[in-house]
Amino acid sequence: MNNIGINYHSILPEAITAGVALLIMLVDAFMRRIERRIAGAIALAGLTGAAAALYTLRNQDGVTSFNSMIIVDDFRLIFAGIFLIATFLTVLISLRWIEDEQLPTGEYFALLMFATTGMLLMASANDLVMIFLGLEITSISTYVLCGFRRSDTRSNESAVKYFILGSFSTAFLLYGIAFIYGATYHAAATPVATTNLQLIKERVAAGHLFSPEMLFAGAAMMLVGFGFKVASAPFHIWSPDVYEGAPTPVTAFLSTGSKAAAFASFARVFILTFTATSLTGALSDLHSVATNTLAVMAALTMTIGNLVAITQTNIKRMLAYSSIAHAGYVMVGMAAADWKAVAFYLLSYVVINLGAFGVIEVIARRGDKQTEIADYSGIGFRSLGLSATLSLFLLSLAGIPLTAGFMGKLLVFKSAWASGFHALVVIAVINSAISWYYYLKVVVVMFFSEPQAEFKAPRVARSLIAALLLAIIGTLYLGVLPGRVLRALDQATDQLKAARK
Amino acid sequence: MQSSITNYLPILLMFLAASGLASILILLPRLLARRRPTEAKLRPYECGVEPVGSARERQSVKFYLVAMIFLLFDIEAVFLIPWAVAFPHVLKDPAYTPLKYVFYGEMMVFMVVLLVGLVYIYRKGVIEWNR
Repeated sequence: MNNIGINYHSILPEAITAGVALLIMLVDAFMRRIERRIAGAIALAGLTGAAAALYTLRNQDGVTSFNSMIIVDDFRLIFAGIFLIATFLTVLISLRWIEDEQLPTGEYFALLMFATTGMLLMASANDLVMIFLGLEITSISTYVLCGFRRSDTRSNESAVKYFILGSFSTAFLLYGIAFIYGATYHAAATPVATTNLQLIKERVAAGHLFSPEMLFAGAAMMLVGFGFKVASAPFHIWSPDVYEGAPTPVTAFLSTGSKAAAFASFARVFILTFTATSLTGALSDLHSVATNTLAVMAALTMTIGNLVAITQTNIKRMLAYSSIAHAGYVMVGMAAADWKAVAFYLLSYVVINLGAFGVIEVIARRGDKQTEIADYSGIGFRSLGLSATLSLFLLSLAGIPLTAGFMGKLLVFKSAWASGFHALVVIAVINSAISWYYYLKVVVVMFFSEPQAEFKAPRVARSLIAALLLAIIGTLYLGVLPGRVLRALDQATDQLKAARK
Repeated sequence: MQSSITNYLPILLMFLAASGLASILILLPRLLARRRPTEAKLRPYECGVEPVGSARERQSVKFYLVAMIFLLFDIEAVFLIPWAVAFPHVLKDPAYTPLKYVFYGEMMVFMVVLLVGLVYIYRKGVIEWNR
């Protein structure tokens, strides 16, 4: 068509979410206070539209556009679908909450949609610069969202910590990108140096590098940057404070959507670009170094997350450490270089965790007051629906069979075992067993202990019931009948397969 | 592209022009103006900020808002000027002729996005200083 590859169809989902965010801003600016409620409905409609746009892209395998900044492959479509589900559920659990807290509706949903745009770009990026851009769009929106309860010092602390540490880690990522750009310098090629993932892969495979050491340094820096964004040990320190202080729906979004987006870019760079190429290339070291580092990080992340979660007394903080542990399980899949298992795990984690945070948000009441585990004592039979729902999600996070959590773990562990990471799988299974303790503790506190204070069953808004029902259905569907999703994943292609065609 | 030190000549000229202008602006008043120093005039910051005192002074949030809005539209200018310089070449080059509406339209999209931002801050009352 033309030499710079302008193809608006390939960025239609991103364009829709960004356009909807702008529309919400205008609605917020021109409508009266009471009418601003429709912002949430607009966001839901926009997400549905973006999903439809994704569906129309399904048959364009490996098409790159915008100077190969953007790629359309099944990898992108699957991850983008996961992000849209995450944002959809987040909007549903925030619809009523945002009114009860008397926070500005329009700004909240606009920022959420901008964050989604960034996440979608992170999955569709075919260039390190594009990944960086998507990451920044997501990060800046979520920094603001963390501090959204302006009058609450915990929320402010969360935002400031996230902003400072987030910018710091972004610098690492950017420095890594710069190193890789330098490492791919090859005087005979055009362009002489590159940040394009396919070109990087080709040059690594052909050994056309300025300096392999520089590539290693760049890969290590990017590992730090991504490791921070997904909250994996030893770069996890920020996440408990941030998750505890941020408003509960925002915590839910951070621990699912933005984490999944970081994993999407992580997988695109480390599984599809680095580990995939060096198998055949002269730099077979990179493969073993990268996967061994990932394996060690996975083991550390799981163990630290689970062990520290045991001692927590605040449920949001406990789920923050649980989220670190789950990042560890996903890293097991990363080490095994199996992005399909990673995608399934993230999909199930998104559904379960958003459901769990939905319940926590209702029980916490206005101003996030009741978030201690002690506040949950004895609420089991006074508010049976909520307690039973929360129990289902917690057990699913622990990995009880017939739920999504179990299938996700099974897939990840299976592929790690098949790739020869036997010790890692053993550590992961032991960790899984440890995690039962603190998940079950909450269930026991809810059903088998005396109530400490007067507890009145909270009123649950209809939108939240819808979100919880969707999450329950998703949890059970992925656990009992995962066949369709697994088949879809099996047939999925990525940039490697698409390029080979 | 030849990479040689002469390519950096414009930067040297820019540097000389900038430092020359700064020196003239400092030296000229010394030569021409009569000196009538008062206490207020001799302060390091003539805008009224106390140079010594508690660092925990509270600043009005309006200053930060104005600074942010300034950045927003500054960036707009940074993108607009190169575009405006490049656009005539796009019109002349036959290779890019089919794309001229794309080049034009994409900049308009960018402007509209910024315009939405401007409308938003206007409606939210950021520009009204006395609120």
